[in-house]
Amino acid sequence: MSLIEAKSISRNVATTAGELQILSTLSVAIEAGEAVAIVGASGSGKSTLLSLLAGLDLPSTGEIYIDNVKLNDLDEEQRAILRGEKIGFIFQSFLLIQSLTALENVMLPAELAGTKKPEEQARELLGKVGLGERLTHYPNQLSGGEQQRVAIARAFIGKPQILFADEPTGNLDSKTGARVEELLFELNREFGTTLIMVTHDEKLAQRCDRILRIEDGRILEQAHVA
Amino acid sequence: MWHKISWRLLKHELRRGELTIMAAALVLAVCAVLSLSMFSERLQAGLMERSAEFLAADRVLRSRGGEIPNEWLQRADEEGVASARRITFNSMAFANGDMALVDVKAVTDGYPLRGHLEIAEEPFTQGVVADGLPASGETWVQGSLFQQLGLALGDSLEVGDMTFIVTQVLSHEPDSGFSVFTDSPTVLIHNDDLAATGLIQPGSRVNYNYLFAGEPQALQRFESWLRPQLDPVTQRWQNIQDGDSPLSAALTRAEQFMLLASLLGVVLAATAVAVAAQRYAQRNYDAVAVMKTLGGRTRLIARIFSLHLFLLTAASVALGVLLGIILQAVVSWYVSAQLGYDLPAAGNGPYLLAIGTGLLCAVMFSLYPLLRLMKVPPLRVLRRELTASGLSRWLHWALAGGTVFLLMVIYSGSMILSFALFIGGILAMLILLGISRLFIRASRQAGMQAGSSWRLAMAGMQRRSRENSLQMLSFSVAVMLFLLVLALRHELLEDWRGQLPDDAPNYFVVNVASHQVEPMQAMFERESIRATQLYPIIPGRLIAINGTPVRDEVTKEERDDSEYREGFGRELQLTWQRDLPAENTIRAGRWFEPGEAGVSVESQVAERINIGLGDELSFRVGGNEFTVPVTNIRDVDWNTMQPNFFMIFSPELIAEMPATYIASFYLAPDRRPELYQLFRDFPQASLIDVEDILQQVRDVINHVSLAITFVMVLVIAAGGLVLIAQVQASLEERQQELVILRTLGAKSKLLTQAVSYEFIVLGALAGLIATLAMEVSIYVLQTQVFNMPATLHWRFWVLGPLLGAGVVALLGWSVCWRMLRQSTGQLIRKLS
Repeated sequence: MSLIEAKSISRNVATTAGELQILSTLSVAIEAGEAVAIVGASGSGKSTLLSLLAGLDLPSTGEIYIDNVKLNDLDEEQRAILRGEKIGFIFQSFLLIQSLTALENVMLPAELAGTKKPEEQARELLGKVGLGERLTHYPNQLSGGEQQRVAIARAFIGKPQILFADEPTGNLDSKTGARVEELLFELNREFGTTLIMVTHDEKLAQRCDRILRIEDGRILEQAHVA
Repeated sequence: MWHKISWRLLKHELRRGELTIMAAALVLAVCAVLSLSMFSERLQAGLMERSAEFLAADRVLRSRGGEIPNEWLQRADEEGVASARRITFNSMAFANGDMALVDVKAVTDGYPLRGHLEIAEEPFTQGVVADGLPASGETWVQGSLFQQLGLALGDSLEVGDMTFIVTQVLSHEPDSGFSVFTDSPTVLIHNDDLAATGLIQPGSRVNYNYLFAGEPQALQRFESWLRPQLDPVTQRWQNIQDGDSPLSAALTRAEQFMLLASLLGVVLAATAVAVAAQRYAQRNYDAVAVMKTLGGRTRLIARIFSLHLFLLTAASVALGVLLGIILQAVVSWYVSAQLGYDLPAAGNGPYLLAIGTGLLCAVMFSLYPLLRLMKVPPLRVLRRELTASGLSRWLHWALAGGTVFLLMVIYSGSMILSFALFIGGILAMLILLGISRLFIRASRQAGMQAGSSWRLAMAGMQRRSRENSLQMLSFSVAVMLFLLVLALRHELLEDWRGQLPDDAPNYFVVNVASHQVEPMQAMFERESIRATQLYPIIPGRLIAINGTPVRDEVTKEERDDSEYREGFGRELQLTWQRDLPAENTIRAGRWFEPGEAGVSVESQVAERINIGLGDELSFRVGGNEFTVPVTNIRDVDWNTMQPNFFMIFSPELIAEMPATYIASFYLAPDRRPELYQLFRDFPQASLIDVEDILQQVRDVINHVSLAITFVMVLVIAAGGLVLIAQVQASLEERQQELVILRTLGAKSKLLTQAVSYEFIVLGALAGLIATLAMEVSIYVLQTQVFNMPATLHWRFWVLGPLLGAGVVALLGWSVCWRMLRQSTGQLIRKLS
């Protein structure tokens, strides 16, 4: 079985105008170590797909498995534990905790998982992303690129099997974006992580092994990148 | 591990506004409740202690039916309650070939149990505290008897069968009494000499007073044991708060006021906690969503944020207690210095109340925001619009409402009053909410006609109309409570001071013979002494109501009580008047027509012995008996230092009967030495000095004013915190707007003006609503709680809106000021 498998999933939401289908009977399987880009226009359902694959939300119908564990059977708490053990995240808006320093932000997932002495590992990771000198800076004292690098270090601290990235360079200028992109792929290789990335950026998508093109809640095309 | 995360977050959070406001509100609530309740408890105990001096005891059992069973005194002793006996009766005293009616007071050892006797070498001079009582064969007598009988120290004074040596002038007795009809000078003797006078015979008119003093609990136990055994007709149990002292009304009102105001202060502080907690929780929505996404379990995250609340509460309560102790120590020290005596220490009650209030406010008002925070879904990391779900707002209202109700019950000690306040409060809030929405809509329309910064301000108000009407509600409540406390303080103080101006009569002159009325009036005029008119006094008895005889005080024969009606059981001081006296108002009926025979009855007495308009009352005056109809029922303000009467007759009936006269007058304390000279020509007249009583009442008023001012500061501070918390809460949204407007090219000046105008309008509207609400509340409080006449406060209709606009604009502007000075770039980064 694949590392991640979605079987005929759909996601509906209730609106004032009635039920709206965001994803419709969609199936996808992602192998361990694979890098997959999810692309599509705004509102096509790619972020919803990401949220379902990452266990942040549950599908209205269909089943999702991560590492042979059926997410539908898990409650919110159990899914949180699963995410803590297996999944890392990078977001477009970085989502660092403003009250914590760069180092503390990186340590956070490990501390939440109860890892002893995560500081050394966090320092090392921040060194890797080039922020060894800015450990005690708060997010608002860092530039956007620096914040995203902190977020990358945070994502890798728990040595996750899977990394979900939602428009990781979407908020950055092209030069900074390129640097962050480089870093992301480099660490991904180093840690052997499975990468699932939502992006608008075709160039970025081309660096992945496979591209899922979404339109109106369906997979329009699955293209393997040569 | 979780506590490390919690501590790190807290360190940074403390530098932001919300937790500081929460902490400040809690510190304020705890500090204020502690210092206020401690101070008020100590002041109360101090006043009670001082007031007890007027009774010469904590409790007095007055018995007109003879001695009480010895068993009762034994019981008091067993309970640890000290007792003493005071027997008083009228008798003639003889000296230097002259005689005078005196009030013989025979007392046992230990008298007075509270307060002290003062003795002097010369009449009408300042005395020194007496050590003990007159020795056997000796007597101490009041200055006026020296005047009447031409006495000197060492002279003999015959009372009954016994001859006493006058060894001291009795210059002060703590229990000289509030009744100005103790019209004879006191002759104080030891109880051991009483029998030798041979004056106590069966049927003699003798008042037996048993004095008791002790710890409140012991007194309480003794009182509950004793009360059921008392004879309601001949025995009366009395303490200082029984309503017949001028102090009791002032004390009761002050107590009610302080209680109410500190409750309002606490509710305001709790509101500040709620607003700040809400804001704090909202700001942490992202953090919680991120933690959940990164694998944090809800229970763990709950612990992280609960620890914040716990640490914050513990530190705030501790700081509040510390500050409270310091504050009340300073205030008590100041008051003690003013009073000239130390206030008694407070018990543990205030600590329990303050800490309990702090914990209750912290937990109950932050629980809902915290629960909501825990409900934030992890999906918020992708869908930013998601907030907490699955938690009913009703829970919030139930928690907040329940807590406020609980606080009301704790503070008022009355379920009914709390219920009334609570329902009234909810109704008032709903009405205020409605009015604020209307006002906001109306100002939007008005704003459309105005210049661009006004239009922007009004548009801003309209856009946030839901938040703004809630915000305006809390502004209004804060301003209203402030105005309410201010107005009530003014009313209460004016009311008290009005009753007892600095030149309120401080002496009564009684026993003035009718031929001396004119010379005395002339003397008052010549000496520029402000005096009341001289009222005639004719002793008499009420003997029947509508033909049914009333019970008399001494019953020598067996008779069936059912045939009798309740009466006074004693002689009354009757008077006649052509016109209604100034301090009296007619409650029912009308004043006498010329030539009409009738009687006017004081309202409380009428109620007590069940007399109504038109009832026929029969009196015995001298040897005559006559019957008159009740023409009117009259309210009398007993707190004024004026001669007041239960029964006033029309002149036709008793004007021709022999009478003595009474008046009260004011003599400046520095003219006190002139008294002897002034009244030398009126040897039969007796003087009663009530300066002590007046001073005591003024003391109470002064200290209560201090306490009230203190409460006012609490309410202002709590109100200020609510305002700051509210403005801060709306800051982020304003920030977003400002960025947009700046980006679109709006100038700083325009934005500053728009923000200022918005706050000015919000504040002014809140002030206006607050004034309206204040008038309604004060009307209810004055008429229902404080038993005062209702008044309108026109000044506040100007002050309210101005104050609201000024304070809200200043606070709003100062909080937004830093934001307005930032560059657009900085703001954008902050928002992202």
